[in-house]
Amino acid sequence: MWLLAALARMHPAAESQADDVSCLRRIASGDQAGAASLYDRHARPLYSLILRIVGDETEAEDVLQDVFAQAFRQAARYDASRGAVAAWLLMMARSRAIDKVRARRTRFEGRTGDVQVLDEMPASQPDVDSAMLDEEQTRIVRQALGDLPMLQRMAIELAYYEGLSHTEIAERLEQPLGTVKTRIRLGLLKLRDVLKHPNARSPRVGGPAEGQA
Amino acid sequence: MSTHDELKASAAGYVLGSLDPPERREFETHLAGCAECAAEVASLRPVVGALATAVPQVTPRAEVRDRVISRARGGVDAGVQTRPGGRSSTSRAAALGWLPLAAAILLAVGAGIYAVRLQRQIGDLQVRFDQARSTTAVLAAPDLARIDLQGQPVAPDARARALWSRSRGLVFTAANLPPAPAGKAYQVWVVTAQAPISAGLLTTDPAGGGSQYYMTPPDIAPPVAVAVTLEPSGGVPAPTGEKYLVGMP
Repeated sequence: MWLLAALARMHPAAESQADDVSCLRRIASGDQAGAASLYDRHARPLYSLILRIVGDETEAEDVLQDVFAQAFRQAARYDASRGAVAAWLLMMARSRAIDKVRARRTRFEGRTGDVQVLDEMPASQPDVDSAMLDEEQTRIVRQALGDLPMLQRMAIELAYYEGLSHTEIAERLEQPLGTVKTRIRLGLLKLRDVLKHPNARSPRVGGPAEGQA
Repeated sequence: MSTHDELKASAAGYVLGSLDPPERREFETHLAGCAECAAEVASLRPVVGALATAVPQVTPRAEVRDRVISRARGGVDAGVQTRPGGRSSTSRAAALGWLPLAAAILLAVGAGIYAVRLQRQIGDLQVRFDQARSTTAVLAAPDLARIDLQGQPVAPDARARALWSRSRGLVFTAANLPPAPAGKAYQVWVVTAQAPISAGLLTTDPAGGGSQYYMTPPDIAPPVAVAVTLEPSGGVPAPTGEKYLVGMP
């Protein structure tokens, strides 16, 4: 029974995408209520992600404002065939928040040499479907992330929430580069399996046959 | 040269965006021709997306909502009502009789209208500035690729050029396109080995020219072609209409 309920909960995603698109249309035509509605639907997850990355409430508020300002400006150009609005907003939030942290790092450490390398790194894009995970799935991922061996979890967190490259992660964790790559991979494979089979949560075991990289 | 298994191990870092640039380039080249790695990448995407939402959920303060919404383009009205200068000058004018009052009101209204217009202009400029900045970033990209497009039989005189950078996006400039009929619009496609991906719609001026910046996903497979088709005005997820322009790298 719970399975049916969970399945039913997964599908409001399509409907909510249609509502988001209609919000953007209204914003593009100058309707302020559209902006309010878009904010109310997305501010909490966006702010939470930004706060996780920048770690400071005032800065997180600034980034959140910038993300919405950018979304409002680009509302008219949003192309529904490119993916879900939620994913688009999350992508902007992550990349702006990471920019903020990087700017801070460069300012404090004066390591201008790194800037070009950082500049070349692509901001990875949250997948369309995944950004529409329901609360239950999100809870599962959060829990599974917490269950990972510490170094796997830290490597993944440094990559995703701090925007660090493998080399930078290896420096921070004082681990060989190859080990960092392997840990990131094993961690992601584990999260993938948990997401696929939420009930078969067996700690410390990687994917079938793929475990030893 | 890395072995296949070593390359496949890069898929996770690739999806997370954490590969160092040379490694990323090597993996992308490999990815284009390897179904196994493409499947690995596809299966890991939802996991990475889940990381975006798998953080403790916190509601932003209520003030932020007001600030955000007043910055929406429709929010210009608020700017007129809260101009403190206008209000105090009208109340002082009331003591002096009807004529100065009317003049003050006219002035306040005029200033209000001016403020609205100014704000609108600033909004438009901001959009254009964003576009210009994105365009410059593409032109300055270290990985810039140029693709020239030729007019197809329906529009033999049409020409276009696509400048594409994986990390920074696509700048597309077209000339001599026939005007799009009512209810139709031109749509630009980045064609990869797997599927055509919509870059977005292209608006043309009366002379059939148009220039536009598009964001493209940084992890798309290397394009094998860029094309323009005529589609229903809202755009479509996959091309259905006649091809107007096609070009290959």
